[in-house]
Parts: sequence; C-alpha cells; structure tokens
Amino acid sequence: MSKPQEKGNVVSRLYQWIKDGLDRTVYMGVQYTYPKRFVSPLGYLGVLTGITFLVLGITGGFLMFYYQPTLAGCGSLTCAFASIERINNTVPFGWLLRNIHYTASNAMVLLAVLHMYYQYFSGRFKIKNEVLWVTGVILGIITGVEAFSGYDLLFNQRAGLAIEIGSSLANASPLVGGTLRLATFGAGFTDFVLRLYAVHVFILPMIMIILVFVHFPRYLVFDLPVISTVVGGLFLVAAIFPVAVGIGYSPSNPQLTIPEWYLTGIYALLRTEFDKFVMGGLMPALLFLMAIVVPFVDTSKKLNWKDRPFFTALGITTIAQILITTGWGFYINPNTNLPTLSRLYVDPALYFSSMLGVTVLSFAFTYAFLRYLKAKERVRRAVAPMGPLLTKKWVFIVFLMLVGAQLALNFFAWTAALTNLNAMTLFDVGAILVTFGVIMHLYRYSQSLPF
Amino acid sequence: MDLNTTSNNNANGAVAGKTVNVNDLTSFPPNGSWLVTYPSSGDINVDSQSPDTFQKFGLIRLPSELGGSNKDASAFVAYSKVCVHLWCSPNYDPQKSSNPTYETYQCPCHGSIYQLPKPDSDGNLIDAGKAIEGPASLQAPPTNAIPMLTLSADANGDLWIEIPQWDVDHNGVIGYGRNYDSYQDYILPVAQGKQKAPGEP
Repeated sequence: MSKPQEKGNVVSRLYQWIKDGLDRTVYMGVQYTYPKRFVSPLGYLGVLTGITFLVLGITGGFLMFYYQPTLAGCGSLTCAFASIERINNTVPFGWLLRNIHYTASNAMVLLAVLHMYYQYFSGRFKIKNEVLWVTGVILGIITGVEAFSGYDLLFNQRAGLAIEIGSSLANASPLVGGTLRLATFGAGFTDFVLRLYAVHVFILPMIMIILVFVHFPRYLVFDLPVISTVVGGLFLVAAIFPVAVGIGYSPSNPQLTIPEWYLTGIYALLRTEFDKFVMGGLMPALLFLMAIVVPFVDTSKKLNWKDRPFFTALGITTIAQILITTGWGFYINPNTNLPTLSRLYVDPALYFSSMLGVTVLSFAFTYAFLRYLKAKERVRRAVAPMGPLLTKKWVFIVFLMLVGAQLALNFFAWTAALTNLNAMTLFDVGAILVTFGVIMHLYRYSQSLPF
Repeated sequence: MDLNTTSNNNANGAVAGKTVNVNDLTSFPPNGSWLVTYPSSGDINVDSQSPDTFQKFGLIRLPSELGGSNKDASAFVAYSKVCVHLWCSPNYDPQKSSNPTYETYQCPCHGSIYQLPKPDSDGNLIDAGKAIEGPASLQAPPTNAIPMLTLSADANGDLWIEIPQWDVDHNGVIGYGRNYDSYQDYILPVAQGKQKAPGEP
C-alpha cells in the first residue's frame, strides 16, 4: 500500500493517493469492518451511539445559528424561549432540525444504556477491556448531563423547574456544594443559561470526543445498511412523535411537570421525601459506582452470561429496578381533587419493599431460567441449515421495486418540503434512509448468492 | 429612610405596576396574591421579563379571618418564590384558604406546603411560612420555613419593603430557610409599626 499505484484511471489513482496519505493519520489506527453479511447490531451499539452523536453534532450546530442563550430583552418571553419558538415556527427547516435533535438525544441516551447492558451481559468488558468499560461509564454519565443541559436550554416551564432542582441538588452536596452551585448557576438564571449553553455545545462534547479516543477499540464495525436504517428510523420517530415547545417559563404560577424519561427515576426517588442529597445524589451515584467497579469484581475468565449467574442476576435486577423506578416517576395520581402532595407522594416503605422484592424475583428468575436452559441444551437437536431466502430473480424484482420506491419518496419529500409539510418531509426523508439501508443490504445479500 | 418601593406584578406575571395601598381593599382584596420583584430594577418591564425566582416573592393579602382586612402592613405577607426543598416555585392558591393552615402556599414539584400565619391560643399570629407538609417540612430547622420580606406601611398607607436582613433569624436565606419564629419576633412587629427595622432612624 505504501507504493503509489501506477495503474488505473485518474479516479482510482486519486483514491489510492488519498488512502496512502490517510495511512499516516489516527483514523487508520482503527480498523473498520464492513461485514459481508448481516451481523447483529447488538455487537456494535457503541458505533450506533457514536452515529447519533454525529447527528446531534450536525443538527446542534445548525440550531446554534438561531438559538440565543440570553434572557432579558425579548418582550414578555425570555430570549432563549422566544428563539426556540422562532426556530420551531419560522426558521426554514428549523422544525426538522429541532425534532431530529430532540429524538436523536433520546436515542443516544437509550442506545448508550443498551450498549452498556449488552457489553455487560456478553462479558466483553472483561479481560483487558477495563479501561474501555470505565471510560464508557463516564461517557454515559456525560451523555446524561448533556441531555439534561440540552432540555434546560429551551427555558420552557419544565426546563425552569429542572434548572432549579438541578442547581439546588448541587448546592445540597456536602463540602463542594456551594462552590459547585456558584460555578454553574452564577448569580442567577441569566448567568446560568449562558454557562449551560457553553457546557452543552462545547465543553461536554469536547470531553466526549477526547474520551472517545480512549473508549474506541481498534476494530469497529461500520455497517452502512444498519446505520442508514437507524438514522432513518430516528427521523421516522421524530416525524411521528414531534415534540412541542411547551410554555415559556415564568415564576408566577408554575404547575406540576414530569421531567424527561431518563430523569423520572430520580424524580420518584425525591418524592419519597427522604433527604434530597441521599435520594437525588447518592442513590444514582451508587448505580454508577456499581457499574464502574464491576470489571474489578467480576474477574472470572468466563465471558458468557450463562456462566456468570450471579452477575447476570445482578444485571437483571438493576434493569428491573430502573424500569420500576422510572415508571413510578411517571405515575402521578390523576385525581386532581386530592392535594398535590398526596398525588405525588411515593411511600418509601412501598418503594423500598418493591425494590427488595424485585431483587429477589430477578435472582430467582435468572437462576431458574439458567437451569431450564441447561436442561434444554441436553436435548437440543440439530437445526437444518437454511437455504437462500430469495432467488436471483426475486432479488432483482425487489431491488427494482425499492429503487422505484426510493425515487417516489424523493419526489414526495421534495413536494412536502415545498409545501411546508414539516412532519411529512421528515417522515419521507426517514423512509428514504431506511429504504437506502434495505437496498444496500439487498446488494450485500445478492453478493453471497450463487449467480 | 432608605426604602424600596414594591413593584407589583399580577398573578399572571403581567405587570400591574401599581403601588399597594393597605387601605385599598378592592384592587388588592383579602386572600389575593401578586408577584413582586425584589430587589427591583426600577423598570417594571425589566422586572416582568426576569424569570429569576431568587428575586421573586409572592405578596399575599391574608384572608379576612387572619387579619387581611387590617389597614396596616400586618395584613400582608411576602413569601419567597424559592422552595427551601429543591428551589421550585410555590404558588398561592386562594381557593384552599378556607382552612388557613392547609394547602395555601404549595410547591408544584414535590408538594411542600407552607402555612399562612396561624393564630395561637391568645389569638396572636405566629409561625408564618413554616412548612407543615411535604419534604420541606421534614427538613431540620431552620431549613423548614420559607424566607419572607419585611413589610411596612407609611402614613399614606402605601406598602414598602424594608431592606432585608438575609440571615435565618430575620428574613431568612433564600433557598435555604429561616427560623419560623422570626415572623412573630421581627417581621410582624415591624409591619404593625411596633418595632423599627434595623438601620431605620
């Protein structure tokens, strides 16, 4: 590869020249694999998380054109909220960018969590991957903070209340609390929104990019069909479930507001009315601490989850507990005749006994399931290998149909964009990307057929 | 006398821009509440645009049975808009004041409830702003009562805000708390004209 290619036309020589040049850069330190056949995306959820990060970076960069991280001087609304409304309602393609950005932020949090659990259960975090695991947990925490700071920037009612709770939780932490609050919150909301903006668009993304160099392994799966489908699916979700801007924050009469789904767990914990720092700070910290120390406790050479019953059960327990706590955070007694307090109150006795119960159940279920699997393995029969799903003829027919659909979708997306049908445009673009992914996969599939 | 005028916002957050007069029972009737900015910028528009809850106070004219019809500053209390639990903004709900110790100044986030001044056995009003239910009520004193402003009325009946003493024994520390007996020891006597605020000649 080091010798320049003499043969070929201009294009292939240029390609070879660039490739040789890149050989000396950091990018070639990572080996990208484009799998010859479909492999489970569970193995490279980290790459997909990175792709959503890229989507967030691109859309976020464009949103910075119009977002104003200031408060006073824009009439009866804060400038921050007014600029969000402007992006949403007036700026060309602003609605699309904002909805993609929002959905991608949710997707990134979700993918990061799924990625962590897959690595945990598959045991890949073990054996010389401890550094990758620990930086992964730190990246996960930063992703959460990034998502939180993002939805605070809207300065709608939910954001206003979240800012207040976040800064008072920081203030409640021992020793560093006051300094931490002053450093982040400053003299009030005007300082805070500007600092939050700097943190959200520069400081945290920078830290993430630096950490990613420590986090990425040397071999990465770069499966274009799946990536295209995931990004397209993200657009589809954003089109089907667009997010409202909400109402601007005003301290005069705020009402009961449930936070984003990744924070409702902490919301449920705070509603038990125990000490705020213990419930809102230490309890989530305990979970992250557990995650960080896992590779140093689970030091067996066994990787498969079936061979590590205790840690499998522990993982199942944390999933069950997180799901219950998150669900509980969403539940508020719908009877508005009751006092707010009794609608909100999470009975600690009930909460902690359910946590204990779910732990016992998870362990019992895991051990019973593993025993069942072992019994089943003994009587496992050979499965006949599958023949090809599609013949050559059908591959051609489906391929042509998909290309036709692709062309039609392009036309639909174009007309929808011309007529300002925002959700329709986004839906069509998502469908185009998904179709592109399927076409790419079909092409790959056809390569394996005996033509 | 170095006093600051109140700049009044109505409950919707739109600027009313009126001076409160204790003798006027119609524009600010008993059991009503306005949003007040302190320290005020002096410009009502700037005040109404600022969402900073650390400078916002709920000015409440007490229900008549608690002396809300009195023609002096004791008819009013001014509670901080920052809950001492997790800094959300409590709201005054006039409809729930029939039982004056219940559900009147309540936080929408985690449900802490602060009471209006409560008559003791001798009929004296005491313990204004003490959290009686919810997470704030479970915090140790002095972090279980909402900070308050000290009010007074001049000879014309116009309501003024006295320069606050931001410590737990007087007006409290915003977002932290206040000793709830500072109401009967300091805030109420000044409002009734029985005692002078510190620094006043």
